[in-house]
Amino acid sequence: MLTSLDPRITRLHLPDAPPSIEPKEAFDQFETYEAFHQKKEGTAYTYVGPVHAPTADVAFLFAKEQYSRRFPCTGMWVAPTRAISLTRYVGDTESVYDFVTEQLPAQTGAEPDESVQQAEAYARGEEDYAIFHLKKRGKAHVHVGMVRAASPDEALLQAKAVFGEQRPVVNVWVVRWADVLTSDDEDRDIWSTTPEKKYRDAIAYKVQDRIDRFKQEQQ
Amino acid sequence: MNTTALKDLLYRLADDQLILGHRNSEWNGLGPILEEDIAFSSMAQDKLGHSLQLYTLLHNLGEAEPDTVAFTRNAPQFHCTQLVELPIGDYAFSLIRHFLYDHAELLRFQLLATSSYEPLAQVARKLKGELKYHVLHANTWVKQLGTSTEEAIEMLQTALNETLPYALGLFEKTEHEEAIIADGIFPGEDELKAQWLESISKVLAQTNLELPDLSTVAPVYGGRHGEHTEHLQPLLDEMAEVFRLDPTADW
Repeated sequence: MLTSLDPRITRLHLPDAPPSIEPKEAFDQFETYEAFHQKKEGTAYTYVGPVHAPTADVAFLFAKEQYSRRFPCTGMWVAPTRAISLTRYVGDTESVYDFVTEQLPAQTGAEPDESVQQAEAYARGEEDYAIFHLKKRGKAHVHVGMVRAASPDEALLQAKAVFGEQRPVVNVWVVRWADVLTSDDEDRDIWSTTPEKKYRDAIAYKVQDRIDRFKQEQQ
Repeated sequence: MNTTALKDLLYRLADDQLILGHRNSEWNGLGPILEEDIAFSSMAQDKLGHSLQLYTLLHNLGEAEPDTVAFTRNAPQFHCTQLVELPIGDYAFSLIRHFLYDHAELLRFQLLATSSYEPLAQVARKLKGELKYHVLHANTWVKQLGTSTEEAIEMLQTALNETLPYALGLFEKTEHEEAIIADGIFPGEDELKAQWLESISKVLAQTNLELPDLSTVAPVYGGRHGEHTEHLQPLLDEMAEVFRLDPTADW
């Protein structure tokens, strides 16, 4: 039986040698979800990282714990990775929209007012898509707004029409809004955790003096 | 206000949070998947934080320092229910305990948010957000697994049947029950138990799990009066190992 300095491990009564690891069935693999956080009320949602989960609900639970503990957070979105369409990447001074060359079909006749347009769009099977821009490699994608379209490709064309002047845009993510699970306004209070949590922050671990001492010893 | 009764209640609340927080922290590094490991450990840490706030209230009422109270008492001096001291078992058990306990915990602190003892009411209001997430976490897993495979449903059902008598021990009354109610500190265990039953039943109704008829389940009492299982003392020894070696240790 495996004995460890960690009594919890000893209590598991594990065999001395680990069992051989069988490759897992595809069924056992959770898919990945991408999480977006809002750091302050009224600010844009920003990509924060992935989680593995069996469902969007569980992905939300995990995203909340992994990505809202160390920074202030006022809301979170999660979307399955497979639901995100992305463009190619361009250089840090360019806009990826310059390489989106297809044109939207031209409007004919007088423009009806917006609510009529909206109703007609939904009747045609159009849906809302969230658009995220990456301004610089190494930064995170930021939500810039919504468009209505019948497909992710069309949503990208719409995004070019609406947000195409912005620069630089290194990469664009397009996500059907129906695929995004958003935090509930009713549950707003789950983001306000107890304030006496300095011990959770890296700053509470004062290691600089130890590092200095170590460096001195090395000299 | 009856201070003896108030302290009795605070010790019950704080000891439950401390012991379950410590127990659940034992999953740290051993959880079923990385993300769940992080979530479960974080919630365990929350519970330890909650116990600190409650021990601080006790300290303000003249009891010893929180660390002293947490690390130097032996099992018979603890007021926690036996539910929280049971070993972590398998994940089905830990999850069901988390579900049964955290529903009661959320409702208890919601009731305490209007307590006549204002310092406690303030703490209760501060904890609300965290407790709400804990219950959301428990509900999501119970609904997810409780409607999934036969194996998962059977494991959860077995855990539910075995845990329920201990969970009912959460509502054990002490000799101070009437004083606590009369002083408006807390509306009482019967009120809490009724709300809890309604709350867990709503979630279980959305799963393939069945709540056993509570009239056939004998609650496990004793914890509130210092009667504990053989599991509590080893837990305390392990938890306080460093403190007992060197009470001034800092890390």
